[in-house]
Amino acid sequence: MLALREWQQGFTAAVLDGAEDAFARHIRVRHFSSERRLQVYRNNSRISLTSALEAVYLVVRRLVGEGFFRYAAAEYIHRHPSRAGDLHLFGDAFAAFLASFEPVAELTYLPDVARLEWNYHQVFHAARHAPLDRQALMAIPPERQGELRFRLHPAARLLVSPFPILRIWQNNPQDGVDEELIDLAEGGVNLLIFRDEELDIRFQPLGDGDFALLHACAEGCAFAAACEQAMTAQADFDLPTRFSHWVAQGVVTAFDLPDPSFPIADRGEPT
Amino acid sequence: MHAKSVPSRLGPRSIPVRAGIGLRAEHYDAVLETRPPVGWLEVHSENYFGAGGKPLAVLEQVRAHYPLSLHGVGLSLGSTDPLDASHLAKLKQLIRRFEPALVSEHLSWGSVGGRFLNDLLPLPYTEEALQHLIMRVSQVQDVLDRQILIENISSYLEYADSSLTEWDFLAQLAQRAGCGVLLDVNNIYVSACNHGFDPHVYLRAIPHHVVQEIHLAGFTVNRFEDGEILIDTHNQPVHPAVWALYRQAIQHLGPIPTLIEWDSDLPELAVLVGEAQQADAILEDGHARAA
Repeated sequence: MLALREWQQGFTAAVLDGAEDAFARHIRVRHFSSERRLQVYRNNSRISLTSALEAVYLVVRRLVGEGFFRYAAAEYIHRHPSRAGDLHLFGDAFAAFLASFEPVAELTYLPDVARLEWNYHQVFHAARHAPLDRQALMAIPPERQGELRFRLHPAARLLVSPFPILRIWQNNPQDGVDEELIDLAEGGVNLLIFRDEELDIRFQPLGDGDFALLHACAEGCAFAAACEQAMTAQADFDLPTRFSHWVAQGVVTAFDLPDPSFPIADRGEPT
Repeated sequence: MHAKSVPSRLGPRSIPVRAGIGLRAEHYDAVLETRPPVGWLEVHSENYFGAGGKPLAVLEQVRAHYPLSLHGVGLSLGSTDPLDASHLAKLKQLIRRFEPALVSEHLSWGSVGGRFLNDLLPLPYTEEALQHLIMRVSQVQDVLDRQILIENISSYLEYADSSLTEWDFLAQLAQRAGCGVLLDVNNIYVSACNHGFDPHVYLRAIPHHVVQEIHLAGFTVNRFEDGEILIDTHNQPVHPAVWALYRQAIQHLGPIPTLIEWDSDLPELAVLVGEAQQADAILEDGHARAA
């Protein structure tokens, strides 16, 4: 008799790596062969993981078709085995996988569509966060404001693509028949993905100034540097108005000063 | 004058001895809008492991109206890898927030060496595996600071190494680890067909006092030229043979809170509610007999 651990490794090798012969003697043969019985588990595992990918990558699936998606998923599962019991954590490397997956090399935009869908998935499940503490912000002496490091809401993500991925995403509703042809040459998009107060996910294409500002905040830049980057990106950028807008929208939610005498103004989750 | 009970923000805390239904995202709106007349709801714990967003907000709303059971599918309880501390921490946080009446996991494993199959895999029923499970259930109960229920799974193979029957294994686990049992009557039926044992022997071997919940679901038949294998797919109505076995289970155990599970190819909510009403009728008979 095998020790339990060795035995679990043998089962896994039989199901995932095809090492059936070594494990077959541990299976009681009654009516059906051990191969057919192990095949049930192979199918179950594949279906479980493929369904998890399908739940996140709906548009990628529609773009490549159901059959091809399953083929790609099987290859992905093989190359990036699941590492957690919580299936919501599975599929994080799918965009990178597609970028190197030869059969879809010509679909240059596909990895970015996958990136958009993974971001959507993360934003959907991200933590809640209270709005920015304006009073705490008012208390910062004006001469220190340039040092402030603002933070984005946990349910806000930025994404850049040289392809019109938002239009591709929007033209692929699951139940629709909207088959408008999108010209890839129409250009890329700077995208903000965030969750609104109704917990619905919103996509917003950003101008160069907005994107540079929010991106610098997300990267942990000091406010002075973030402003400079925004103005460099877009000379006519109306910085005060736009910054207030992102605070009001709940996209900019917290800040700190790299100075122990000022506490971090981060209200965390709303009560 | 009757004392008026003040409903807590979370709603009722104990599971009534009635039928409940599994709640899936496809039915969120219908459940919130129509508040179906079912006794309680059960959800898969992992579907609420996110830090925020719609699933948790919906669960908060339904929790105000229904008692809740949390059913885990991903802990890999029987694995010989260390327990996933972050998985358990998320479960514990969920329990704190929603105060479920019942928390359950499976008599199975799903990973080894950090590789996950994300399936409910059968254990060999040996003394070594039993010792391991007793330790693991105790660990989980210690971390969560509460009793958990362990559910029997459907299986598609048996091990030559097993020295105990599944029912003896489960009964001993409950006795020695102090956990409860979630008896899945459909899984007993599926495994009985797949392995050729008498499901009534299984039922009779499980002591009344440990069973706190029953599951009912539908299965799929994979037909081959030389026979068939039943697969526990949760995408069908409960099979008539499983209803018959359930009736016998209630006669043997007395009335037990019973869940209708339906996890893929979901029908209209009304279909699940109809199945729950069928279970309620059988529970009523059980109550009448007990009275």
